[in-house]
Amino acid sequence: MVELHGVRKTFGTNEVLHGIDLTVSRGEHVVLFGPSGSGKSTVLRSINLLEVPTSGSVKFKGVEYGPGIEGTPKPQRGSALDLRRSIGMVFQQFNLFPHLTALHNIVLPLRSVRKLSRKDAEEKAAESLRDVGLLKWAGSFPAQMSGGQQQRVAIARALSLDPEVMLFDEPTSALDPELVGEVLAVMRRLAVGGMTMVVVTHELGFAREVGDHNVFMEEGLVVETGGKSFFDECSHPRTRAFMGSVL
Amino acid sequence: MFASPDPSIYGVGAVKSLSVSAVTYDWGLVWENRDLFWWGTVLALQVSIVALILSLSFGLVLALGRMGRKPVTFFAAAYINIFRGIPALVSVIWVYFGWSLLTGYNFTPFQAGVIALTLLYSAFFAEIFRSALMALPPGQSEAGLALGMSRPKVFFFIKLPQATKIALPNIGNMYIGMVKDTSVFTVIGLVEIVRVTQNINSITFQPFVLFTTAAIIYVFLAFGLDFIFRTLEKVLSTPTKGLIALTITSRRTARINSLIHSKEVALPVSSEKN
Repeated sequence: MVELHGVRKTFGTNEVLHGIDLTVSRGEHVVLFGPSGSGKSTVLRSINLLEVPTSGSVKFKGVEYGPGIEGTPKPQRGSALDLRRSIGMVFQQFNLFPHLTALHNIVLPLRSVRKLSRKDAEEKAAESLRDVGLLKWAGSFPAQMSGGQQQRVAIARALSLDPEVMLFDEPTSALDPELVGEVLAVMRRLAVGGMTMVVVTHELGFAREVGDHNVFMEEGLVVETGGKSFFDECSHPRTRAFMGSVL
Repeated sequence: MFASPDPSIYGVGAVKSLSVSAVTYDWGLVWENRDLFWWGTVLALQVSIVALILSLSFGLVLALGRMGRKPVTFFAAAYINIFRGIPALVSVIWVYFGWSLLTGYNFTPFQAGVIALTLLYSAFFAEIFRSALMALPPGQSEAGLALGMSRPKVFFFIKLPQATKIALPNIGNMYIGMVKDTSVFTVIGLVEIVRVTQNINSITFQPFVLFTTAAIIYVFLAFGLDFIFRTLEKVLSTPTKGLIALTITSRRTARINSLIHSKEVALPVSSEKN
């Protein structure tokens, strides 16, 4: 469903991605992990073009959205707007809109992107909140909620638009340890429900549990990938060293 | 000795008292001329409100220009730096007398006052909006974009409301300054508070009484405007604070509460599914 080929990204003179290939199939749960600065977040943000790769191919359902691979003819490109309407994203810092209630954080995109009427949008938003167990908090502002609750609202907001893929950029890294569980529970339920997910995380326990396709990155390169049993069978010395220091 | 004044030069109504006394302080003058003071205050507020709306809009455009690409940002910066430095008195004489010489078109005092204030204060508002917009974390627009919202929608529904909230105390401050700056429009014959005061003074010679009154009116205006802007801040604060602000937002609260209730009732049906 998502195909990255030869994705390179340069910030100024500093190349942070040196040609990344990544394929995500429908219903698959891909986990990206690795040390800080390894480029895993940049890979994730390339999928919905929050970062536009300097070169390389970003395909979603066969349509090219990236700049394409150097040397090949310029591809027919889809618009970033269309791409993002099929891909949901959850951020490390939640990024809820602080001037809106939990409910209206979800109503806003439903109305402006999905063009729902006010009534339909509010109904749907309330149901999304109920799905993450936060219906009672509909009228609260982000500042009145805990980090875990905010992140669950952010997940509900992304899900309310019925995305085909969900991207998670370190969704639990900014949370108190106590609050990590409630967010992971929502994500786990989503994974079991068959959602296609790409997750950047340091929660290797969670990765081991849901990751169908695990990708270890370092310094802008994919070091090693593997399936379900990756965490027991990985062989690259860097991967093993990283695992040893985290687990 | 004192010719009966032509009422039309006072704009509204006629001066009601002609008692002349340099020794006694005739505070009764104020009450006798309350109509004139009232209409002078109304006119000052009208000019400043029209100018506020225009300069907020123009200031926002300038702020976006200032944050934009090369040639645009240069012109916006030039405008801001020039017009921030011009006093209101110079601006209004330039607009009212200068432009009519240059173009042959005569603005009314009201129009000239509005244009003069807008020219100056849009430069200030541009800087206020720019700093407020830059204070927003980049994650806010990223979240909007990631949800599939277009850049204009991200701006109007996500960035502008938050920037307005940040800018509001400064906007209120500036607006009090605008109201006070209408006092210089007496030089182009706008019958605002100072003009009214001068007119009455010219036949009654009670500068202490009359200008004290004028000062009190300005102070009361400043208090009133401060109250209005503080209430607006409370309406925009999250969570909403204060009785008036809560009353204003009570319909939203009621709507959400009834929605929560209706979805709670429906819960048992779909909870089996989850």
